[in-house]
Amino acid sequence: MAMTLIRLLISPETKIHRWRSYLPVGLICLLAASTATAQAPAQWEQPVVTLTEEIVGILGPGQARLTIRNVSSVPTDEIPAIRHRLEDDLKARGVVVSGAESANLIRVTLSERAAEGLWVAEVVEGNQTQVVMVSVPLKRPQQTQASAGLMLRRQVIFVSHAPVLAALETPGGLVAIEPEQIVIYVHTADEWREQKRISIGQKRPLPRDPRAIAFTTANGQGFESFLAGLQCTGTYTIADTESGWTVHCKESDDPWTIAPGTEVQPTTSTQEDVIVYPIKAFYNASRNYFTGVLVPSLGVDLPPFYSTAFLPRPGGGTALLTNGIDGKVQLVENGALKPVAGTRDWGSDFATLTSGCGAGTQIIASGSGEAAIDSLRAYALPALEAVPASPPLAVDGTVTALWTPPDGKSVIAVVRTIANEYEVDRVTALCN
Amino acid sequence: MLRRFAISCLLATLALPAAARTRPHYGGTVRVKIEGDPWQRPDGLPRRLIFDGLTTLDRDGTVRPALAVEWESESGDRRWQFRLRPGVHFHDGSPLTAVAVVASLAASCAANCPWNAVHAVGPSIVITGDSPMPNLPSLLAGGQFLISLVLTADGKTANGAIGTGPFQLTGFNNGVLTLAANENCWQGRPFADAVEIRVHRLVHDQWLDLGVGRADVVEVPAEQLRQAQEQRLTVAESSPATLLALQIADSGALANPTLRAAIALAVDRGALFNVIFQKQGEVTASLLPQALTGYSFLFAADRDLNKAHQMRGGLATPPLTLSADQGGAMQLAAQRIALNLREAGFNVQVVGTGTQHSDLMLRKLPLEGGEPAAALEALLRSAGQTPPVVEQTSAALFKAEREFLDQKTLIPLLYLPRAYSSSGRVRDLQLFPDGTPDLAGVSLEDAP
Repeated sequence: MAMTLIRLLISPETKIHRWRSYLPVGLICLLAASTATAQAPAQWEQPVVTLTEEIVGILGPGQARLTIRNVSSVPTDEIPAIRHRLEDDLKARGVVVSGAESANLIRVTLSERAAEGLWVAEVVEGNQTQVVMVSVPLKRPQQTQASAGLMLRRQVIFVSHAPVLAALETPGGLVAIEPEQIVIYVHTADEWREQKRISIGQKRPLPRDPRAIAFTTANGQGFESFLAGLQCTGTYTIADTESGWTVHCKESDDPWTIAPGTEVQPTTSTQEDVIVYPIKAFYNASRNYFTGVLVPSLGVDLPPFYSTAFLPRPGGGTALLTNGIDGKVQLVENGALKPVAGTRDWGSDFATLTSGCGAGTQIIASGSGEAAIDSLRAYALPALEAVPASPPLAVDGTVTALWTPPDGKSVIAVVRTIANEYEVDRVTALCN
Repeated sequence: MLRRFAISCLLATLALPAAARTRPHYGGTVRVKIEGDPWQRPDGLPRRLIFDGLTTLDRDGTVRPALAVEWESESGDRRWQFRLRPGVHFHDGSPLTAVAVVASLAASCAANCPWNAVHAVGPSIVITGDSPMPNLPSLLAGGQFLISLVLTADGKTANGAIGTGPFQLTGFNNGVLTLAANENCWQGRPFADAVEIRVHRLVHDQWLDLGVGRADVVEVPAEQLRQAQEQRLTVAESSPATLLALQIADSGALANPTLRAAIALAVDRGALFNVIFQKQGEVTASLLPQALTGYSFLFAADRDLNKAHQMRGGLATPPLTLSADQGGAMQLAAQRIALNLREAGFNVQVVGTGTQHSDLMLRKLPLEGGEPAAALEALLRSAGQTPPVVEQTSAALFKAEREFLDQKTLIPLLYLPRAYSSSGRVRDLQLFPDGTPDLAGVSLEDAP
């Protein structure tokens, strides 16, 4: 646990004291106190020990009053345990916390700033006040989601400071598509280690709402990715380069593969066979949407759209769901374009999830922005009206991308968090 | 104070996810109304739309690449080399070169630069100083150091409004600045096709324009935030972005530091906060806000009139003059401070805005964000002070702040947010760390 120690004399004049080591005493106290205050949250133990060392270094053995003020996000119900632990540690070092009769005062403030907690002790002896500070790592609370009906669960796979447009899980690794780079990570001992970083070599600026897709190649030994005006391929060869990955990017206005292998229902009554195609869609490289032109054509003129997903239909076959830039969700089924109701709460992004619950496949849609917190929610589409199939699953920020990985049993979401980090989340469903 | 900051953060964060959830549309014109001078340094509203810095700060204050893609320091932070982003062009089509950047930086600060020399080396610029410059990447993200074209390709002096930013200036007619989207912006074309900024419009009239659909983004001064909430305006509010401070001349009548200390004790911050600024922002006796340092509460902000009297003792001072920066409530605040000081036995006269050489100046100093040490340096520079070199620790910062404040030449009073209200057609209005609106990220609901 990294900490910063600070000792200052601020009255009557300011001077810095040298840091003295109290490690042996600290260890003894730590051992003693760990049994005495087992109920104190473990994350506060080390800051308490360090702060105590600093206080004792100023005050020496004796009596002192102790006040604790909390102006941080430390839960109020944890303050008594922190106080108890402080008192025990002080006592073990010869400082007895006394009542109002003592002339000495230890005024502890649990404070914080943007990145970390800061615990400040003002040690008042007569008209002299000395200050010590301890930096405290903040622990982010874990979010849980209440259950009702089909329940969505969210698991954070990966977090990045850089924008993540798309990501792809590989055996033991992850490929992150960033606006200017492709980054290969390997998973080691509970953390992601960057293995290789490849510049995309973007020649023209990406639009302000950049998007990308990435998918595993058919042989499972590589990936293909599309960004605005670019196409990248990555291949994995064990005997090849240091990382095993070779990535090539080229300028391209080719349509993006939106479904690598999809069974498409015939669009006319004269066609009887189901067609299996990689479905591609032309993307407007200077904007943030697809033009509506598909290859091969499904026999209908689609409006420009943000998202598409292929969806098994209750009567058999597959239909294409699109979310137009005008906000209208439509279904391409039996060669016709049909409006879908019940999508008022949908955002621009959705993907399908093969949960095995209910009809087997649900649509996972981001929120529309009407609510204060962005969310993901499962919907069923038995006919032409979307029916909520789960309660909303709150996310920690804004969903910026959503897609279905090859096995279809989960949905991957990229969330730009309030802290401006990019989380790659795996969303799965539990049947009730 | 922490609670107030938390509320500010909450407002800002509510604005963040509420808007970007559905993908933004391209097109349309954003109509903005402002009261002041659009080109005011460092935070005039169009400046960050037209110009970019070598670096930029994200919302948590981390320095990110902008026109420079990477940088490194040598010689104990006395020499910095910034490599420029390739392929960037100014709005007139001329390429962004190291020579152009050097010219812009040299013009930005003249004699008060944080460095001694800046020169071009190939595609990089090298900045050197006699003293360590540990905060330089953060400082270069500030509004003062945005890069503009100084000389055109044919050697003529540019008009000062040619940058590399998301919008380019296309005209100024009848009090309206018009900006058009930069199709080739290195950050990506902005969503809106154009921005119109009507200048010198009174806040009252701005709000009327917003109400009748003739404006999309208008100003909300801190002292009118409460009123905006009562009127249910949609408001994007920054975290503390401006330090209201009393600058005291350390020469002439106030050369005696004891007198300056008496003035500091006599000012009633609570009255300024409660009455003049309608309980917006936060009272402070420190230079940096609590949310940035975590130790602001160690600086006492209470008024102590008795002690002020004691410190002034029988010392007679000649009549003092007090001036104030421009802005809605600044004159009222100056009047209030003058009243406070008269109660402590000082004879103070409030003089007109812009008066040079007054004994006391009520200043609005910008806080541009970044790491605390960088923010402190930028703040002191904006106050015309020479900042100390501070280690990146809370202890060193606290010591530096205390030593500076002990001189009693700058008395922090309040931290104020900046805020803007937007119409229903505006999506994704967010504010830069300095509190100015990021109109390049705005899109319009009714865009085609």
